[in-house]
Amino acid sequence: MNKIIVTFSVNGKEITLKVGPQERLLDTLREQLKLTGTKEGCSIGECGACTVILDGKAVSSCLILTGQIGGSEVFTIEGLEKDGKLDPLQQAFIDYNAVQCGFCTPGMLMSAKALLMHNSHPTREKIKTALDGNLCRCTGYEQIIEAIESVAK
Amino acid sequence: MINYDFLTTSKLEKALNYLDKSAYVKVIAGGTDILVDIHNKSKRLPEISHLLDISHIATLNFIQQVDHHIEIGPLVTHSGLIHESLIKNNFPVLVEAANTIGSTQIRNRGTIGGNICNASPAADLLPPLIALKAELILTGKREERIIPLKTFLTAPYKTVIQPHELLSKIIIPILGDNYYTDFQKIGRRKALSISRLSLALVTKIDKKGIFLDTRVVPGSATPYPQSLPETEKAINGKSIFNINLEEIGKITSEEMVFITGERWSTPYKKPTIAVLTKRALKKIIEEAKTNE
Repeated sequence: MNKIIVTFSVNGKEITLKVGPQERLLDTLREQLKLTGTKEGCSIGECGACTVILDGKAVSSCLILTGQIGGSEVFTIEGLEKDGKLDPLQQAFIDYNAVQCGFCTPGMLMSAKALLMHNSHPTREKIKTALDGNLCRCTGYEQIIEAIESVAK
Repeated sequence: MINYDFLTTSKLEKALNYLDKSAYVKVIAGGTDILVDIHNKSKRLPEISHLLDISHIATLNFIQQVDHHIEIGPLVTHSGLIHESLIKNNFPVLVEAANTIGSTQIRNRGTIGGNICNASPAADLLPPLIALKAELILTGKREERIIPLKTFLTAPYKTVIQPHELLSKIIIPILGDNYYTDFQKIGRRKALSISRLSLALVTKIDKKGIFLDTRVVPGSATPYPQSLPETEKAINGKSIFNINLEEIGKITSEEMVFITGERWSTPYKKPTIAVLTKRALKKIIEEAKTNE
């Protein structure tokens, strides 16, 4: 099996890596780059735990081969915190008790971040649509939506 | 584990060369179907020697109007369709269908070309595209051919595309005046909603309120999306003021069962497809009456 050399940026830093033909972006992030904030859930694009922002859009990193993303910009949960300060979305998730077991949280935050990058004042409906690919088995979603609304106001 | 080598190119000619060299090259763009199949080791997957990534071929990513047609590149994502005014203004039925696909993450990545070529019986864009009389351009290294979408599909997950060909363009004629469209779908939870049943309806209503040129295409109802000529015939010529929706629904149900035969899902799908047809017609009739 061939190895592919691919250059892309992760959280603002350009990197060049050798990746396998079957290596998914999720695998590269977690195993090569040790960015384990991005979680592996269903592996078939249904749960949203592996959500990252690719070129400004929320995507499932389990459904992208790293070989496909040459020249792209990837933004992960590790990129949210700036200079030791939490992103307002992260702080809101804490303030609104939008986290229970925490497994879905990175994906939820990245879906919410992608939405706010394009629309800083989304309606509740838009927030729900942005989260339609993220499953949470603990919170019942209400606190998550409220947390995002508080930042969007 | 399914083993393959990976190829990527930003040049269409190069991609066509790769496809021409070997019959075991499988194309990947958004990857939202094929990577699931690879993960699940799906029996549907053909033998693969190489996976060819075409997602960087910029010349396959466009939406443009040429005379009375809209041309769409196969790499346009579902989100791309939803946000493009040429599509919103001309084919709202396509936007409605694209909006119901998967989740935000899937809509941001999955492409119209992939939805067509994967040829799932539940592909959400196929019913509206068939109802809109879409045509496809299939490009090979040496020749190019144009084929109506309705004859492109031959069986579940099967199409007439040859291993050396690539879908390079989707062409949809712009509907004239007085056309109405609607898309209905029943899924489970929206984010993983592989359609349980869907229906696209395109029809013209003349000044007297008579249905003409009706096209009814259900999804997940038949082995592959196809129009229902008996239902279309039954609607054409009727008036929006006194069409018997119950009767039309019954014809749709019977026509679906005629195509599929009695299956385990028939007791559910038979009455439900009738409901979807009635809902679509009702919505269109209301819209036509307000336009009077």
